[in-house]
Amino acid sequence: MAGKSGRTISNTPDKSLKSRLLCWESMMILLFILVNVLCICISPTYNIRNVFREMPKYLIEMFLLFPMAYILVLGDIDISVGAIVCLSATMASIATNNGVPFLVAAVIAIVVGMLCGLVNGCILTMFTELPPMIVTLATQIIFFGIAEIALGSGGSISLTDTAGYKAISAKIGMVPVVFFVVIVFAVIFTVILSRTTFGRNVYAIGSNRVAAYYSGVPVQRIRLLIFTATGLMAGICALFLTSILYGANTTTGKGFEMDAIAMAVFGGISTSGGKGRLLGGIISGFTIVCLRIGLGQINMHPQLILIILGILLIAAVLVPNISMAFTKKKTA
Amino acid sequence: MKDKKSILGKITASREASLMIVLIILCFVIQMRNSSFLTPSSIGEMLKNNAVIMVMTLGMLNVLLLGGIDISIASTLALSGMSVGMLIKRGIVTNTFLCFMIAILIGAVCGAIVGLTISKGRVLPIIATMGFMYIFRGAAYMVSSDEWAGADALGSFKDFALNSVLGINNIIWIVIVCYAIFFIVMKWTKVGRMVYAVGSNREATMISGIRADRVEFFVYLIMGILSGLAGAMAVTVYASAQPNMMYAKEMDVIAACVIGGVSTTGGRGSVGGALIGALIIAIIAKALPLVGIDAIAQNTVKGLIILVVIVLNVVTQRTMDKNVLKGREM
Amino acid sequence: MSEYILELQGITKIFPGVKALDNVHFQLKRGEVHALMGENGAGKSTFIKVITGVHKPEFGKMFLEGKEVKFKTPKDAQESGIAAVYQHPTSYPHLSVAENIFKGHEPMKGPMIDWKKMNRDADALLQQLNADFKSVAEMGTLSVAQQQMVEIAKALSTNARIIILDEPTASLTKRESEELYKIVDKLKESGVSVIFISHRFEDMYRLASRVTVFRDSQYIGTYNVDEITNNDLIKAMVGREIKDLYPKPEVEIGPELLRVEGLSRTGYFKDISFNVRAGEIVGFTGLVGAGRTEVMESICGITKADAGKVFLEGKELKAKSPQDASKNGIILLPEDRQKQGLIMDWSLGRNVTLPVIGKYAKYGFNNEEAEREVSKELLESVDTKAVSIFDKVNTLSGGNQQKVVVAKALAQDIKVVIMDEPTKGVDVGAKAEIYQIMGELAKQGYAVIMVSSEMPEILGMSDRIIVMCNGKMTGELLCHEASQEGILELAMEKHNGGNNS
Repeated sequence: MAGKSGRTISNTPDKSLKSRLLCWESMMILLFILVNVLCICISPTYNIRNVFREMPKYLIEMFLLFPMAYILVLGDIDISVGAIVCLSATMASIATNNGVPFLVAAVIAIVVGMLCGLVNGCILTMFTELPPMIVTLATQIIFFGIAEIALGSGGSISLTDTAGYKAISAKIGMVPVVFFVVIVFAVIFTVILSRTTFGRNVYAIGSNRVAAYYSGVPVQRIRLLIFTATGLMAGICALFLTSILYGANTTTGKGFEMDAIAMAVFGGISTSGGKGRLLGGIISGFTIVCLRIGLGQINMHPQLILIILGILLIAAVLVPNISMAFTKKKTA
Repeated sequence: MKDKKSILGKITASREASLMIVLIILCFVIQMRNSSFLTPSSIGEMLKNNAVIMVMTLGMLNVLLLGGIDISIASTLALSGMSVGMLIKRGIVTNTFLCFMIAILIGAVCGAIVGLTISKGRVLPIIATMGFMYIFRGAAYMVSSDEWAGADALGSFKDFALNSVLGINNIIWIVIVCYAIFFIVMKWTKVGRMVYAVGSNREATMISGIRADRVEFFVYLIMGILSGLAGAMAVTVYASAQPNMMYAKEMDVIAACVIGGVSTTGGRGSVGGALIGALIIAIIAKALPLVGIDAIAQNTVKGLIILVVIVLNVVTQRTMDKNVLKGREM
Repeated sequence: MSEYILELQGITKIFPGVKALDNVHFQLKRGEVHALMGENGAGKSTFIKVITGVHKPEFGKMFLEGKEVKFKTPKDAQESGIAAVYQHPTSYPHLSVAENIFKGHEPMKGPMIDWKKMNRDADALLQQLNADFKSVAEMGTLSVAQQQMVEIAKALSTNARIIILDEPTASLTKRESEELYKIVDKLKESGVSVIFISHRFEDMYRLASRVTVFRDSQYIGTYNVDEITNNDLIKAMVGREIKDLYPKPEVEIGPELLRVEGLSRTGYFKDISFNVRAGEIVGFTGLVGAGRTEVMESICGITKADAGKVFLEGKELKAKSPQDASKNGIILLPEDRQKQGLIMDWSLGRNVTLPVIGKYAKYGFNNEEAEREVSKELLESVDTKAVSIFDKVNTLSGGNQQKVVVAKALAQDIKVVIMDEPTKGVDVGAKAEIYQIMGELAKQGYAVIMVSSEMPEILGMSDRIIVMCNGKMTGELLCHEASQEGILELAMEKHNGGNNS
């Protein structure tokens, strides 16, 4: 079927396009540096040693960022992750206090998380008509509710045996173990999303679910897998959280879903699906972690920090929208 | 073709009727277990305790009709309630009516900000309201400066919820008035029908001369106003103002709507349905201990109910579609 | 009073970078039906939007009954008695028919909507149009044709003197089109002027007295319908003569590739059996809603059939998903390119290789270089008009988008190609190229199934024609024994009996 007109189509990648895509990530790096400079200015105790020391409790939310990025790229949303963290942490703590060895408790945390994710995934793939927002809103109430029941009237649990948990909250030099774990996961998740067939399919689903399905992409299988993986990551997050808190309570994990979504959105991942890269999300994740450490060091009211994060989340979506509207007006 | 339509019509029309039956059965079962349930004072008490949820349900009905969502309402409530509480505690404002106005104003401002962000900024409602949930809750803490206003600090304001007019508690009057207004507005006025139109097909509104973004802004504004009002109501009903008041109660409001047959994808729902949904939520909370379910499990049960209802909706829709197909003669 | 109810002079509309309308003229007589024709992108839609006040032209004047008017908003046009029925019904599916008709100008009683009057008036309008449904019906439960009737009622409810119909027959069956013709006739009798946009010559001959042709944003001419031949009209629209619209090559027909036996799906189709051989083009025709697309979707595993078997090269194939089907070499080119066929904001290359990324990947890692090579080759082979494989699909015209869909199919190991309405929304010039490609596919030994509602292409391209009606196969004709009348008879056979479309 030779081209009758002999027309040729170029297939050399457009370099300028690529640099334009890189723009958001490089901006994020700039912002990361800026935030660090700011923190150094406002807090005299802001140095590498202290940052690493205080990092774990913020860093663990990155475990949720990775799968959340996938979910947002799919065009879905999961606001039950915080509740999964709470339930997993509760179950692991209860298991440990009943004399279960640490490794088994760790497995329990991860399996509980995975099961919760599986529940979300099953409901959403079996009843594709349902909006993920409402479904995960309902499961959020349920998972928190089950944790509440398990915790009983006291509403909290403290570990009686912290031996195993101390091991994962240990440090190598001045760097906490969890930092390395996060980096490993970051690399794995980023590479899968950006370099593999699976990742390309995720983008295809997010860009046009129907066309992806017609093109032979196993849409529902991928969604199920990602929602389950999200639960699994929430389980891992819960495990590290327990190793910091030495226990769990009814407010454990509250707001984690917002933090994860904020990191992703701030990193340039669109909530309408199909757009953005995990690298940006990771940089923005670290930026937010540093900001929280800095603000925490100057004893800022925790609620005020939440206000700032809320504003950041909205601004991250609002600013590009407004600037787009302005450029449109200019060209029109 | 004609028969099919009328059956479909009957089912959609009888949605409220079937909910009503559920409500009556619920009442009946509880009455069997506890004969003091269906007495005027018991019902009045129940309505008063759920008035806050019932009022906000009206706003959420509008938000869901548009296909949106607002999970910041409990925070708006806390901000307005806390502000009023502190104003009274500091003795700045003592007039009850003025307190209500201030609460409504604060709610309106919050709602306007949310509405602008969503309608003009084109931020997804779930993302925007998730952000504002933290911002407004944080603001409530800031207003409280880590204090709270107890019954003794609230003076005459707390009496509002204790007094009644014509034998009906003031709080319940507010609920009745709100529902009456919304019942008329949603069915009989252009504005109300515009909300349905935008929720049903946003693209088509331009041709009908409806400004969808203005309707959207307006809906979130109304949601804010009702949340503000609910804030003042919560302070007087519970005779206290705390920055963490009504935490996570937006779930109850959404649950009431979903149970009341309001579609979460927009376009479908009614004031009557929302009312019955809110009543069912109220009665379930009361019934759980009676049927031996611990109060601690209440949230789980609520979550399960939402899940079951939305799944049931899908299943019935599917069987309905299938029956239509089977009926198609070939 | 002027002879023309509506007159536009020298209208020019400029969008950033493009002249969408360039010095366009138009005259509409009182009580006439005036067809507006032209290829996609010729500027018809923009022109309509100028008339209805959606777009404001940069230059030009518009006269309504001899008086110059300037519309600022769609509402201005509406109040001046101009109403448009758009191509895609712009209704509110959750609301009642009455509300849909009167949305924006509801009858009021004080501050309240007068529901009684609204329902009564709506019923009166529907009766005027011979509608078989009531004003209280929910819009979403109506068929497309019925919804269109509501749209026309809506136009009438504003007392419109000029009604614009934008491709009203595009999604209607033959019968429903007939109904529409009657309605338009009635409108004409009552003195309403109608502007009618359509790709179907049939519509034009049946309804219009004059036709205006646009091409490349420019006004080409206005002709009396009974004075212009089909060929001249095509020439005016395309700007050149199309010598051979249906370049069907002589192909040696090979062994059977696909056989379908007794395929059924409740409510959609029943007992479908046919076969397709290598090098053969089988045309599937029938009225819209006859179940043709649904049959193809079941063969490809998109929806599940309730009974029946599909054999590929003699072996039974149980495709549970499109993936299964394409692995075995059955590829569907779906009807709706923008929603089902392509990812519109992806580049051409990405779209072409989407189904086969796995083939070039190593250990799951994409081989982008190989992908670029393959997509370039395939896109060139179907002669896509594009500069680079990195162009986004949504920048292409309908015809070129269809070529990308074909290239995407060719990327896979195909045996059977199913093309569902391959020339829908494709203009005349590009149509010929699509037929060319179709012929090439047959020549290379693929089995081709073409689903189409357009009689000329079915007659022009198929070796065999299968006609469906109301979910059943009503006939199978060889190319030389088929005629337009014969096919129509088969397509509407059972319609006289069971009236339940």
